[in-house]
Amino acid sequence: MKKIQIASLVILAVLAIAVCLLESGTLTWLQSGLLGVISPISRSGSAVKSTIGTLGKDLLSLDQLQAEYERALAENRKLRAENNGLRDLQRDNDHLRQVLGYRERSSFRLVPALVLGHDAGVWWSTIKINRGSADGIAPDMPVITDKGLVGKISAVSGNISEVLLITDENCKVAAKVEGTKEQGISAGSRDPLGEMRLTFLSKLADLQPGQKVYTAGVSGGIFPSGIALGMVKSFHARELDGEAILEPSADLGTLEEVFIVTGAK
Amino acid sequence: MRQGILFIILLLLLPIAVAVQDLLPAIPPFQARILLLPVVFCFGVMALPLVPSLFFALATALVQGLVLLQIQSGQAELGLTVHVVFFLAWAIVLQMASEATHGMRWEVHALGSAVVTLTLLGIEFLVLCVRRGGFPLEVTVLLRIMIPSLASVLIAPLLYFTLRKMVPVFIEETHLPKKPTFSS
Repeated sequence: MKKIQIASLVILAVLAIAVCLLESGTLTWLQSGLLGVISPISRSGSAVKSTIGTLGKDLLSLDQLQAEYERALAENRKLRAENNGLRDLQRDNDHLRQVLGYRERSSFRLVPALVLGHDAGVWWSTIKINRGSADGIAPDMPVITDKGLVGKISAVSGNISEVLLITDENCKVAAKVEGTKEQGISAGSRDPLGEMRLTFLSKLADLQPGQKVYTAGVSGGIFPSGIALGMVKSFHARELDGEAILEPSADLGTLEEVFIVTGAK
Repeated sequence: MRQGILFIILLLLLPIAVAVQDLLPAIPPFQARILLLPVVFCFGVMALPLVPSLFFALATALVQGLVLLQIQSGQAELGLTVHVVFFLAWAIVLQMASEATHGMRWEVHALGSAVVTLTLLGIEFLVLCVRRGGFPLEVTVLLRIMIPSLASVLIAPLLYFTLRKMVPVFIEETHLPKKPTFSS
């Protein structure tokens, strides 16, 4: 083996040991740097994906119009098509009004953000959004939609952030069940079904499917009180406590816009 | 010189692979993800000579570790050590496989990508089970490991032939097999 190769291997060994010994602060800094590096690719890729998605929706609308046409031969075809077009516009308009209205009537200071994509980590549930430290975003800030809680900021770069979803095992939320005095801790699970488990409930809790669950807002916690978290799917008593399976209020699989809670109004 | 350029191209591909794999949709019904990083890693360590391939493995470990970094109570849940050991070990194994097959072959790359993806997800799952407790080895979990591995087999040849088309000049001096000629 040549001397240069031996020297290279020694350098590699030193580097490998140094990498293994990095502290969490340095790792967070490096992670922020990596997010900054992939940010332009994620943003442009997301824009392309969005354009392709819109194209797909347009094609679907044509399919729907075709189906309408065949079902209602007696009706005026042109009027039908126009109505369908107007309905699409109305739906978009309603959605935007709903989103804007939520931001205005919310008691929190909210920063709107677009979802760039779901992370490919198999054992973690995270998404990337197009807001970062340049927009005043910081780690642990809650992320919500008009439907309910989405998660919390887990990593921040200049203009991109990572959100840890409430369906992740590491995202623990103090929660209370509507119409009861029951409180517990909600967290996701490692299985891919996108459910949450609300634990530390009373064994005798009489929870029914469909009951709503809200954040409890404990002191020192990061989630404000009263944000919709999910809905009870089932309840069962365990050896020491009761556990409820929850379905998230927000549809985490199809997120497009979210809001970051930067503080109270 | 050309190996150096190939090395830099492969390093640039790592963050690109991370960004692109995040944009790819999940595979229903278990929301399995397609992983490109192991596929790029396999190509890199098989195309480069031993020492650069080890450096490339270290870079891959750093990127993968940072992508999955979650700080819990001030501690990294899955530190970089697991990934450093994992990717360095696989770099040596894949180098040996490349030697044994007298140069890089697309079949070996595809198989290697699948096995690296399978073991990567398996080891991450095991480490998380140790850290978080519990061992929920259910069918859905197994499918979440198996599906990305199978997807790697399908994606690997695409990446292999695309990279060979894109950087043929640079690859000639590496371990990749040369095209057979009539005189040989």
